[in-house]
Amino acid sequence: MGILLFITVLLIAACGLIYELIAGTLASYLLGDSVLQFSTIIGCYLFAMGIGSALSRFLDRGLAYRFVWIELLLGVVGGFSSALLFLAFAYTQGFQLLMYALVIVIGLLVGLEIPLLMRIVRGRYHFRDVVAHVLTFDYLGALGASLLFPILLVPYFGLVRSAMLFGIINVAVALWGTFLFANQIAKASTLRVVCLVVLVGLGVGLAEAKHITMAAEDNIYADEIILARDTRYQHIVLTRFKDDIRLFLNSHLQFSSRDEYRYHEALVHPGLSAIPAPRRVLVLGGGDGLAVREILKYPQVETVTLVDLDPEMTRLFSSYPMLTALNQKSFSSPKVHIVNADAFPWVDANRESFDFIAIDFPDPTNYSLGKLYTTTFYKAAARHLSAQGLMVVQSTSPMFARDSYWCIAETIKQAGLRIFPYHVYVPSFGEWGFVIAGYRDYQQPTSLPSGLRFMDVTGLSALFQFPPDMAPLPMPPNRLNDQLLVRLYDRDWKDISH
Amino acid sequence: MSVSRREFLGSACAALVGLSIKGDRPIAGSFINESFQQGHRIRDRASFAAPKHIVKTPVVIVGGGIAGLSAAWRFEKKGFSDFLLLEMNDQAGGNSRWGENEITAYPWAAHYVPVPGPKAVLVRELFEDLRVLSNGEWEERYLCFAPQERLFLYGRWQEGIEPAIGLNEKDRDQFRRLEELIHRFRATGNFTVPMEIGFSESNADLDRISFSDWLRAQGMDSRVLNWYMNYCCRDDYGATTDHTSAWAGIQYFASREPEEKGPLTWPEGNGWIVRRLLERVGGFCRTGQMVHRISQQGRTIRVFAGDTEYQAEFVVFAAPTFLAPYLIEGMGGLRDFEYSPWLTANLTLERLPAAYGGDPTWDSVVLESPTLGYVDATHQSLRTHVDRTVWTFYWALAEGSASDNRQLLLNNDWNYWKEAILRDLGRVHADIRSCVSRIDIMRMGHAMARPKVGAVFSAERRRLKESHGRVLFANSDLSGFSIFEEAQYRGVTAAETVLKSLGGDSPKVRNR
Repeated sequence: MGILLFITVLLIAACGLIYELIAGTLASYLLGDSVLQFSTIIGCYLFAMGIGSALSRFLDRGLAYRFVWIELLLGVVGGFSSALLFLAFAYTQGFQLLMYALVIVIGLLVGLEIPLLMRIVRGRYHFRDVVAHVLTFDYLGALGASLLFPILLVPYFGLVRSAMLFGIINVAVALWGTFLFANQIAKASTLRVVCLVVLVGLGVGLAEAKHITMAAEDNIYADEIILARDTRYQHIVLTRFKDDIRLFLNSHLQFSSRDEYRYHEALVHPGLSAIPAPRRVLVLGGGDGLAVREILKYPQVETVTLVDLDPEMTRLFSSYPMLTALNQKSFSSPKVHIVNADAFPWVDANRESFDFIAIDFPDPTNYSLGKLYTTTFYKAAARHLSAQGLMVVQSTSPMFARDSYWCIAETIKQAGLRIFPYHVYVPSFGEWGFVIAGYRDYQQPTSLPSGLRFMDVTGLSALFQFPPDMAPLPMPPNRLNDQLLVRLYDRDWKDISH
Repeated sequence: MSVSRREFLGSACAALVGLSIKGDRPIAGSFINESFQQGHRIRDRASFAAPKHIVKTPVVIVGGGIAGLSAAWRFEKKGFSDFLLLEMNDQAGGNSRWGENEITAYPWAAHYVPVPGPKAVLVRELFEDLRVLSNGEWEERYLCFAPQERLFLYGRWQEGIEPAIGLNEKDRDQFRRLEELIHRFRATGNFTVPMEIGFSESNADLDRISFSDWLRAQGMDSRVLNWYMNYCCRDDYGATTDHTSAWAGIQYFASREPEEKGPLTWPEGNGWIVRRLLERVGGFCRTGQMVHRISQQGRTIRVFAGDTEYQAEFVVFAAPTFLAPYLIEGMGGLRDFEYSPWLTANLTLERLPAAYGGDPTWDSVVLESPTLGYVDATHQSLRTHVDRTVWTFYWALAEGSASDNRQLLLNNDWNYWKEAILRDLGRVHADIRSCVSRIDIMRMGHAMARPKVGAVFSAERRRLKESHGRVLFANSDLSGFSIFEEAQYRGVTAAETVLKSLGGDSPKVRNR
C-alpha cells in the first residue's frame, strides 16, 4: 500500500503543476509577454496554495471523504480550465479575470490536498517519514510534469487535451482514494458513481477537444492558433510562433509581425510624404490599424477616416493588448474615425475630399473582392481626391502575379489618373507591388518621417525601377462586367503553385 | 442509417433541454399584382357605371408599360404636354414592373436589355438621356457584373447558358453549323432590332414553319442544341420551338451582334428604366384607371375609364393588343394574336444555399428544367458582402396549350406554386427550404405575344401597325413578340405619328 500511496502523491503533484503551466502558457500565447504571465501566475498559484494549506487546519472530520472531493473538484476545474480559457478569450472580454480566478481556485485546492493527505496517513507512519516521503514524491511529480509538459504534452496533445488528460488523472486518484481509504469513508459507493460520471465527462471533453478549440486549423496554419473567429464577414485567425504574430483573413496571410513594417511603411510613406500639407487622410480596408500607425507619424494630418467592413476586426485591433501593441494603439488616436461599412457603396455615396487615400484591400481572389479593383471603383475613389492629393493602391505581387499587377495599374490609369507603380520586398510576402495615382505628377519626397525601420530617401527611387522579370505588360483594364483580373489572378497564382 | 457520436450527443443534449433540431423555416408569401379579375370583367362584357366626370385632352395613351411610357417620353421631349396616360394597375411599368423589400429592389418581369446595336437608334437615344450611355461609353455599373450566367448540367455548374461541357463531336458540329447559318442570316441585314428596320418579305417562308421543323430540316438533331434553342424561345417568347415560327427563332440569334459586353441590367431589372421615365413623365400618368370602353364619334374619341370619360383627338393604344376588340367599339376580333402565360416569383433568401456552387452569379439555369431558372437581384450591388438576397424565378408555361396553362395558373393556389418552385430549385439546392423566408408569386395569363407560325407576317398584324386613324396601336406585340426595344420603338413611333398629325391641324408643339 505504501508505494501506491506515494505514487498518488506524485500524480497529484504533477496534476497541480500541469494546470499552472497550462495557464502560464495559454496566457503567454494569447496575451504575449510571457515573463509577466508566468511570474504572476506562479505567484498567484503559490500564494493560493499557502492559503489552502492554512485553511486545511479548519477541516477536522471526514478527512478522506474531503480529500476525495478535493481531487474530484481539481479534476473538473483543472481538466476544463484550458478549454474554458480558450472559449473565454474567443467570446468574452473577461479572459484575464477568469484565468486568475481559475489559478487561485486550483492553487487553493492543491494547497489543501498535501496537508490533508499527510494527516490521513499519519497513523500509519512516523511523522518524519510521512513528511520525507510525501515531499519527496511531491517534488518528483513536479519534475516529471515540468519535463513532460514541453516535450510531450504541448507538441502532441495541445493545451486543451493535456488539461483534460490530467483532469482524468485527478479524478482517477479520487476514485482510487475511495478504495484506498474505504474504511474511513461512509458513502464510498455514491462517491464512486460521481467519480465515474465526471470521468465520462472529461473523456468526452478529451475526445471532442478539437471542436472546442477549433484545433482542426492546426493543420492549416503552421503556428499555434491564438484566436480564430467567424464574423459575419470573414474568418479571422491570428497565429503566433515565438514573437511572430500572423493575421489570416479567410486563410489568406495579411501580415506577419516580423516584417509588416516593410509593407506598411512602403504603403504609406512614398505617397504621403510627397504631399505638401496633408490634412485629411482616408484608409479603405486596413482594419488592422497598421497603415494608420504610419499615417499618424505626420503631425500635419488632422483626420484619418478608416473604412473597414468588419466591426469585429477593428474592435480586435482597438482592444487586444497584443494587437494594439502592434499598431501602437493607432485606433485610440482622437484623429482617427472608424467607419464600419462596405467600401464601394461608401465611396460611391460619400462626397468628402481627402489629400491622401490608402487603398489596402485583400487580393482579388473572388468576384466580390474583384469589384474593388475596377475602373468604376477607382473613378469613384478618385472623386474624393483633392487637387494635390494622391492615392496609393496595394496591387498584389508584380513578381508572382505580374499580369494581375499590371492589370490593376492599367485599370487605375483608365479611371483617368496618372500612375506611378513601385514595389518592395516583404519577406513573408515576397516582392510586393503598389501603385501611386493622382491627377498630377508625382515627385519622390526629399524627406521622410524619422524613426522608420525600412524606408529611407536614398532607397526610394529604386522602388520605382522594375527589373525585366517584373517589367510592365500591356493589359486590358478590369471592369465590373468582365472582371478579367479575378481570372488573371487565379491563373497567376496557379502557375506558381504548379 | 448510422448516427455519429456527435449527432447523437447533439440530439441527446437538445432533447435534454427540451429543444429539437430546428426544422425548415416557415415560408410566407402570396399572389401579388393580380389583374385578371379586372380583365375578365371586360372579357365578360360586364356593365360599368356611367361616367361622372368629363376630361378633355388632345391625346390619351392607354397603358403604362414600356410602349406607353416611351410615347410619353417622346411627347415630353418634344415639348408636347397635352396628353394623359391611363394605367390599369396601381403601378406603371407593365412587364417592367418591380418590387422592393428591405434587402433590395427586384424585377417582376423583364430584367435586362441587351446592349443596343447601332440600328437601335431610339434605345440609344433613351439611354443617352438616362446617362446609361455617355460619350459612346456604356456606364459600367449598369452592365451586368461578372460572373453573368451559369448552367447546371451533369451535376455541376458551367459558365454560360449555352451547353459547353459533355458535348460530343456531333453536338459541336451542329452548334458550329448553326452559328454559320445564323451568321449568314445576320449578314443579310434582314434581322434587326427593332425588327421593322430590316424586315423583308423575302423571309416570309421562314414564318410558315416552326423553328423546330426548321432545325430538323437543317439536320440539327443534337439533344443539347435543341434544348438550348428551346430554352431561348421559352425565355424570350414564352413558347417552345414547336410553337415559335422559324423566323422568330432566327431573329433571336441573328438580330444581335455576338460580341456584346452586356447586357444592361439593374437590381429592379427594367423597372429601373421605368423609374427614370416616371421621373420625367410621371406627372402625366393616372394609375388605377382601367379603360373599359373606347368609342369614336367624328373627330372625338371617347375613352371611358373608372368614373371618367376622356375626350381626345388621338389615342395611343399601348395596352396589349388582344384587349382592343373588347374595348374599342366596332372593332372586329383578332385571330393572329396569341399570348404566353407566365409565372414569376420573388424569393427572399436569408442566406445562400450551402452548395451554391462558386461565386454568386446573375442568372442561373438548370438543364432540362421546365422553368427558366432564377436571377439574383443583389448581383448588381456594389457591396462586396451580401448575405441576404432576392431571387427572381421565371417560369414560362410553354409546354402544351396556352389556354390549358392559363387554367392551371388560375385553378391552383399559392401553396401549389410555392411547392412547385421549391421542388424545381431543390434539384440543385437541396437546402433551399431552409434558406427562403418569403415567396411572392405573380401570375400572368397573357404575359407576352407569342410569335407562333405565321404570326410575324400576319396580314392582320400589318393592318394594325399601318392604320393611321385616330387610334394608333403601339404595343410591342405589333412586332409579333414582346421585348423592350420593340415596345419602345412602337411607342415612340406612335407618338411621332400623333405629333405629325397634330402639327398639321393645331400648333400645340412648342419648340424647345
